[in-house]
Amino acid sequence: MRAVLTLLAACLLAAPIRAQDAVTTFPAPGTERQVLTLDTATDLSAFEPLIRDFQRIAPDVTIRYREFVTNALFQQARGECYAERAGADLVITSSVDHLVVLSNAGCALAHRSPETLAAPGWTRWRDEVFGFTFEPAVIVYNRALLKPEEVPRTRLDLIELMREQPARFAGRIGGYDIARSGIGYLFAAFDARNALIYGRLIEGFGRTRLLTRCCSSDLIEELGKGELFIGYNILGSYAYSAQKAGAPIGIVIPHDYVLALSRGVMIPARTRQPDLAKRFLDYLLSQRGQRVVQQEAFFFGLNGSVPEGVEAPPGGLTSGMLRPIVIGPGLLPTQDRAKRERFLREWQNALQGAEPRGLQ
Amino acid sequence: MTPRGPSLYGRLAGVITVVLAIGALVLGWAAWLYARVAADEAYDRLLVGAALQIAESVATEPGRVTVDPPISAFETLALATDDRIFYRVTDPAGDSLTGQDDLASARKQDRPGREPVLADGTYRGFPVRIVTLGRYVTGPGVDGWVEVTLAQTRLARLDLARDLTLKSLLLVLGMSVLALVALLLAVRVALRPLQAVQAAIAARDPKDLQPVEIEAPREVAMLVDSINHFLGRLAERVGGMERFIADAAHQIRTPLTALAAQVDLLSTESRADRRRQQTARVRERIEQLGRLTSQLLSHAMVIHRREVVQLGPVDLVPVAQAALKEAVPLSLDRDIRVVFEPAEPSLVIRGDRVSIGEVIANAVHNAIRHGAPGLLALRLSRDGEEAVVEIVDDGPGIPPADWEEVVKPFVRGDSEAAGSGLGLTIVADVVLAHGGRLTFRQDASGHFVVSLRFPLLSPAEDAKALTEDAA
Repeated sequence: MRAVLTLLAACLLAAPIRAQDAVTTFPAPGTERQVLTLDTATDLSAFEPLIRDFQRIAPDVTIRYREFVTNALFQQARGECYAERAGADLVITSSVDHLVVLSNAGCALAHRSPETLAAPGWTRWRDEVFGFTFEPAVIVYNRALLKPEEVPRTRLDLIELMREQPARFAGRIGGYDIARSGIGYLFAAFDARNALIYGRLIEGFGRTRLLTRCCSSDLIEELGKGELFIGYNILGSYAYSAQKAGAPIGIVIPHDYVLALSRGVMIPARTRQPDLAKRFLDYLLSQRGQRVVQQEAFFFGLNGSVPEGVEAPPGGLTSGMLRPIVIGPGLLPTQDRAKRERFLREWQNALQGAEPRGLQ
Repeated sequence: MTPRGPSLYGRLAGVITVVLAIGALVLGWAAWLYARVAADEAYDRLLVGAALQIAESVATEPGRVTVDPPISAFETLALATDDRIFYRVTDPAGDSLTGQDDLASARKQDRPGREPVLADGTYRGFPVRIVTLGRYVTGPGVDGWVEVTLAQTRLARLDLARDLTLKSLLLVLGMSVLALVALLLAVRVALRPLQAVQAAIAARDPKDLQPVEIEAPREVAMLVDSINHFLGRLAERVGGMERFIADAAHQIRTPLTALAAQVDLLSTESRADRRRQQTARVRERIEQLGRLTSQLLSHAMVIHRREVVQLGPVDLVPVAQAALKEAVPLSLDRDIRVVFEPAEPSLVIRGDRVSIGEVIANAVHNAIRHGAPGLLALRLSRDGEEAVVEIVDDGPGIPPADWEEVVKPFVRGDSEAAGSGLGLTIVADVVLAHGGRLTFRQDASGHFVVSLRFPLLSPAEDAKALTEDAA
């Protein structure tokens, strides 16, 4: 799987316009009557339990799962929309700003049901874009390489660490390549709203030559292997999944403020099977779907529950430090091309000296 | 049973309801127009504010312009939660710096400027409100207007307008219902006096022709007045009839009793000469009774005509002449000189030709019967504004002491003379009904004069009346 992904990403680098998708098919357990195509920027391992569970209640549905990196998925979905071509039946991505842009451009189909209306207000926009997970941005560290008292619990801790021991952490701190990872860009853009902390953070990243990667999985793998000491702003769900699978990593939900994302799902306006797509969407938001999301797929609940083994702020996640990435028009400027260009340029300037090693 | 039109109450209720409904519709439409303007104004402010924020983020770098649309601008617009946002920033050369390249400016022809220009339009099929404003930038290699165009769909505006309209409609409807209830109550209260009149009349004894006395508002008082006027005339007529019937009964009973007595006498009389004498008496009584009857009938006719007949212009001269002819029998038992002396060729009054003829005849008749041994003159003359008809005879006349009494029913100047007291009563009645008067006098040569004085028609009225008559 990962090989396919990295291959895909490599292709993207070479020819970033047209993405080759990695397709996994989940044949209908019963007699196939319908085929649902999901275009996603989500690790299959995380999403698979949801597909399996859905097929238990809809055994006649075959599901095609096409996996992209976030930016490629965005281009794919936008291309289909602007060319008025039918493609995916559902688009699922952690880069909810992409979905907001698509919905703003009229690329989404509205859906209103008891399930969608029950979702928290910040996780939905225009009855077109819905968040179905709760995923905090966390600090991940290698338990063997960091003494417990060294573990950064706030961004200031991390800044201090980088300032005090630049040599020790040089090339040992990892983060998303925000030019390619939509979620990395989104988290960075929201971090940047806290200008002071953000400035010192990327200054520190520049000093320690931040390692950037396209995807959570790469970062988490390197953290587990001990190639990276600390990963910043990693999606908590993936990190926890790895931890659960035995990776020697620790997870800290920052104690100063917590960026939280709700992974988005949207039905493209040109879907061939709106009813089936709505059914799957309702399933994701239903109590049954949410139970799977929380217990098997993404581990954190929209209710703010934190799984065992994750170091949460003392007051829990419900406190005022939570900064949810609200799904709505407020996400449009993060995808403004001038703003994005400027932001990326500043990021690159700040990280000068940190050579992106590309993908492996 | 009078034919029943639709109820006044129902009709008023209907009219009021229709007026209020039309009013509510018009107000609702006005509210919708106003609400749309108000909603546009409210959201336009946000839109312009957001566009200004974007314009503020425009900066120059050597050779180029940069823009960094602030998040706050979009969060401002996100107050319209569900609305789509499109924008475009162009550099002085007109090339897009960011946003949707195909978004059209709200500015039509005029030159770029700082003032925001608002317009309605569509983008990608969505109806949008567009604002365009400019910011002048100068810097190394850069000089000119940067234009910010910002568009937002209209969902929130429509929602607000709908909401405002609905609320004002509810108000209008509430007020209409209140007004309807109030007006219906008011109508009911206003109609109550009519019910009171109805109840008062219904509760009345059929014989009671007294005026209805009800305190009523001005509008209804007119109705009550009409009813009272009608009741008054009815009472007058009924009174007249009752009087007349009593008169007539009395008048006829007396000679009948006498006649019966004489017939009794006649039946027991054996002597032929006495018998002849008795028979002559009976005949005389019967003649008297006949006269009385015809007088009563003429009185009844006169009374009836007074109530019924419309008055018209009457020339007294021919009427008097005809009456004289009719009243003077062809053969008289004595030699009387009958003279007709009209002093004017014509004397026009407003009156009832038949009644007037009747009373002149009556007066002449009276004169012949009660006196006039040798002369009977009928003179017509003008006395100022009055036409005067004088019946002159050389008989004893009526003693001045009886002049007042003689015009009342049942009183005869000479209680012994045969005939009825009704003659002059009728004359007096009719003359009075014509706005005239009846007088008696002795003239210079000692003749007895009965004068009937009628107000003359003025020449203008005369002409008018005659043309009316001709028409």
